[in-house]
Amino acid sequence: MANVPIIDCDIHPEATKENPLDPFVPESAREALRQGLGGAPGAGYSNPFGVTRRDAECKDPLKVGVDHLDKYGIHYGILQPPGMKVSLTLQIDAGNALARAWNDWQINTWLAADKRFLGSVCINLNDPAEAIKEIRRSGVHPQMVQVNVGGESRDLYGHRRYFPIYESMSDMNLPLCLHPGSEGSLDSATPVGRPSTYFEWHTAIPLTFQAHLISMVTEGVFEKFPKMKLVLCEGGIAWLCHTMWRLDKNFKALRSTTPWLRRAPSEYIFDHVRLTTQPLEEPAVPEQLLTIFEILHAERTLMFATDFPHWDFDEPNRTLPRATPPELKRRIFYDNAAELYGLPKLPATLPTTTSSRPVAVGVTA
Amino acid sequence: MSNPIDPNTKPLPIDTSYGMENRAIDHAFKIAFESQPPKAKVGKRVTVCAANELQPGQRRIVEVPPHSIGVFNIDGKFHAIRNVCPHYGAPLCQGSVHATHKPADVHQYEVALQGRVLRCPWHGWEFDIPTGKGLYDKNSRVMTYPVEVDAKGDIIVTV
Repeated sequence: MANVPIIDCDIHPEATKENPLDPFVPESAREALRQGLGGAPGAGYSNPFGVTRRDAECKDPLKVGVDHLDKYGIHYGILQPPGMKVSLTLQIDAGNALARAWNDWQINTWLAADKRFLGSVCINLNDPAEAIKEIRRSGVHPQMVQVNVGGESRDLYGHRRYFPIYESMSDMNLPLCLHPGSEGSLDSATPVGRPSTYFEWHTAIPLTFQAHLISMVTEGVFEKFPKMKLVLCEGGIAWLCHTMWRLDKNFKALRSTTPWLRRAPSEYIFDHVRLTTQPLEEPAVPEQLLTIFEILHAERTLMFATDFPHWDFDEPNRTLPRATPPELKRRIFYDNAAELYGLPKLPATLPTTTSSRPVAVGVTA
Repeated sequence: MSNPIDPNTKPLPIDTSYGMENRAIDHAFKIAFESQPPKAKVGKRVTVCAANELQPGQRRIVEVPPHSIGVFNIDGKFHAIRNVCPHYGAPLCQGSVHATHKPADVHQYEVALQGRVLRCPWHGWEFDIPTGKGLYDKNSRVMTYPVEVDAKGDIIVTV
């Protein structure tokens, strides 16, 4: 090539420790970048200050049994494994393999270690036939109590492509649990654009929940599968008052466009949908939550959750407003979940929450 | 790793029995399909117009203070219904008349009540004209009135 002059149009330089980018970043932007504000869509959203509590971890079933279940007097703890997001796996066979792996991992490690742990079946929604096989394979384990999926999905969860999956879950009495999961990794996390910060993204999670719930109700999932139950986990609760009222209001005029709905939308919600508490909204006047509880029929629909060991963990002794009636507390802390998941009833005389007496942490037998 | 699944049957969750009896919309359509005419009553007999002035598909609103009443010709039969929507008091009888879908299986559309569903001009709530039944809940109903054609060929509403 000696006689031919060359221009190379594609060479990739890298910044290194010896030749860093930092000195060229304006002082004013350095802290912002350190706080994760340089994120791009492919990277997803995570808490720049850490998703996990600094004083806790959730890696060893025996340690969690002591540090969390024993500490608070928790009778059962339902696992929400990372496998809830396998449906986002681009390659379908890999997604199927991961779903299977997360289920066997739960069964062989966590569920085997402590009977108080209950598992969630992970499935790959992109391969309904394999998802059904996996539900039938893993779902029979006595400690597997539900199927869980993330909020990000290719279609709204009322879409009929999911119906065969719902049919198999219904057959096995396994509820569907919707949990936040990488919203924004396929499309925007909001209908009108990508949030800039984790703060913005995390606050907007109920948008996805609303979209899926409205879809499932109006598309007739609960008419088609009368035994189907939906758990809305970690999506907040107060928004449901509005969504429910708006559904009922619109139903009066638009029912004819979904003629399979034979009851007011809110009635399907009360019968088929359960909510978990964490992260429970914290109004300046805590007692205002009691009105929300009343509107949402919390005595039937609300189930306690901590989100252990994440940063926005709700502490059992401090979560509900002080004025919450004891019977309602009992329903929220135990009975509603026990009824949904078919867990033993406990005698009414049993204390529903642990006393506020401090309990030694990390003590082993 | 061998298959770790324990095939023991698990306790089945309590099946909160599905509230078939609460299917408000089925109830609403049952009333509409039964099409019971309004009960005969003693009251003021109001002449609306000659029967041949109100052709099928047409309507006329008559003021009988303090009442406002819509009279409709549906396939040659006359029906009278109060011109007040029970929601916000809108002039119901100014709404469009059309068909609707009756309750059906999921993703099935079965046309019903062709030409006899009145859609409120304000918020679009649906009512069955002959029975006054609201088609969106269990109990709401708009007052209907007996209609007859007298010997002279006039439409008479008893209010």
